[in-house]
Amino acid sequence: MSQDERRSLNFDEIRELVRIASEADITELEVEAGHLRVAIRKAPRSLNPAPAATAPAVPAPPPAPPPEAAEPPAHWVPVHAPMVGTFYRAPSPDQPPFVQEGDRVEPGQTLCIIEAMKMFNEIPSEVGGRVVRVLVENGAPVEYGQPLFLIDPHG
Amino acid sequence: MFKKVLVANRGEIAVRVIRACRELGIRTVAVYSEADRDGLHVRMADEAFCIGPPPAAESYLNIPNILSTAELLGVDAIHPGYGFLAEDPRFAEICRDAHITFIGPSPEAIEAMGNKARARELAQKAGVPVVPGSPGPVRNEREAAAVAERIGYPLLVKASAGGGGRGMRVVHNRDDLDRALQTAQRESEAAFGSGEVYLEKYLEEPRHVEVQVLADARGNVVHLGERECSIQRRHQKLLEEAPAPGISPRLRANLHRAAVRLAQSIGYTNAGTVEFLVDRQENFYFIEMNTRIQVEHPVTEAVTGLDLVQEQIRIAAGERLRFGQRDVEFRGHAIECRINAEDPAHDFRPSPGRVVGFVPPGGPGVRVDTHVYAGYTIPPYYDSLVAKVVAWGRDRAEAIARMERALREFEVVGVRTTIPLHRAILENAFFRRGEVYTNFVQRRVDLRALARP
Repeated sequence: MSQDERRSLNFDEIRELVRIASEADITELEVEAGHLRVAIRKAPRSLNPAPAATAPAVPAPPPAPPPEAAEPPAHWVPVHAPMVGTFYRAPSPDQPPFVQEGDRVEPGQTLCIIEAMKMFNEIPSEVGGRVVRVLVENGAPVEYGQPLFLIDPHG
Repeated sequence: MFKKVLVANRGEIAVRVIRACRELGIRTVAVYSEADRDGLHVRMADEAFCIGPPPAAESYLNIPNILSTAELLGVDAIHPGYGFLAEDPRFAEICRDAHITFIGPSPEAIEAMGNKARARELAQKAGVPVVPGSPGPVRNEREAAAVAERIGYPLLVKASAGGGGRGMRVVHNRDDLDRALQTAQRESEAAFGSGEVYLEKYLEEPRHVEVQVLADARGNVVHLGERECSIQRRHQKLLEEAPAPGISPRLRANLHRAAVRLAQSIGYTNAGTVEFLVDRQENFYFIEMNTRIQVEHPVTEAVTGLDLVQEQIRIAAGERLRFGQRDVEFRGHAIECRINAEDPAHDFRPSPGRVVGFVPPGGPGVRVDTHVYAGYTIPPYYDSLVAKVVAWGRDRAEAIARMERALREFEVVGVRTTIPLHRAILENAFFRRGEVYTNFVQRRVDLRALARP
């Protein structure tokens, strides 16, 4: 086991960080361990109305459920498969993926390839923003209209 | 036999094909458009894959997406149903190139029968009569008169480029021929930019009778009898029955023989239907061959006890027909009513929408093929077929009685349907006597009465 792997965070530790971040009165939390850096940003609560100018007369609502159980924020933009085919994250198996979660992308930038009828179709992002989720495994078949990525245009 | 079949269709026929596959122990893949997420075929199939947005051109006709799905999910064969890609020779050929079996005839057979002039030529070569007419366009009055002499009156002057009745004239005798020729030529010139016209014998009150054939890849061809399909509205079949009522045994045998001869002569395989027009003197003429399973196939199933879709699959898998002509037995009489989501009170305009209540009929001798259920929304993008009700009886009278009973039971709430039109046809005295012809609905049914609440 390498030094780096030993010092990086495991899944439960990340989940603990998410819990801390969601309960604390902060909007962002960054933790670095080894060469792994975890950035947790709380999504704006876009579905709820803006806080009223005056203090509410009723007690504060119970804390929001932890982020991993919540629906993705409404302003995240899904990128859908425009055709049926096989989803590839990289231009070829020995090359790095076009994008990773956390990457910033420009409109028109290639996000992935869908192979259909022996043809490789590059799928561009329609919006600029940050890639917040990759929803499909490399090499998986995708149907028409299937969400492939979530992009946060404000990210 | 195939392990997995993709059904490249929707609605009741997709459901029908899935049922046939399941009985044969074949896994099924449904494909669907975004408008059909709640489709019964999607629920019933072992796997389902979305292939495009609602318009058929981008989903059910989207060959790349359908072929990709077939390859990704590892299917051995594709059943095209009827409509959509069922009679597209290009699709059948692409399937062949991709080593996926197209459950239907060869691309060559689809192509040959898809071209009206070529089909007519092949029928003539096989000794099957076609509607008599001029061999090609007629250039002048003298030529026209010579053809008219041969085929007799009344006849039709038709524009080669024509359609929708424009550039068409009925001629009853020699005196009217020259004038009709000139008018048709002028009209055709104005409408289509070509004054080319040809002559065809005019059939008065013809009946539409078709013969079902099955052919395996080893040259065995059988017919499964005929269907009477004269009850139509605007060239759309409404009600079909088997056998055809009131035709002579001699005509029946001749129709069957002609259909088998045509199928044999073109090396046809799989299920097909040879359509004929029959005049009052029982002359019959080939009009076209449909190279697919047809909407009205259940009436043939009802009188023969065969499963035509399973036979299609077996033939496509290379199996030999399991029966010869002598093994095919015909029992009783069957009628099919196509119930559409159309509003009889408003000139049969489509009536899509949410079906709130749906109670299909049942009981002895009644079969219902449908994809509709209570709570289903009929999308506006595709055809308006809601259900096919098939009634079987020991004779025609019993089949009619059962159909009337079934339609009375049938409850569809939320959309308008053509059930009232079917009930009017079934109680019509001419229909009950078997006096039917292609303009029956126009002549014998008071459509305005249906419009009244």
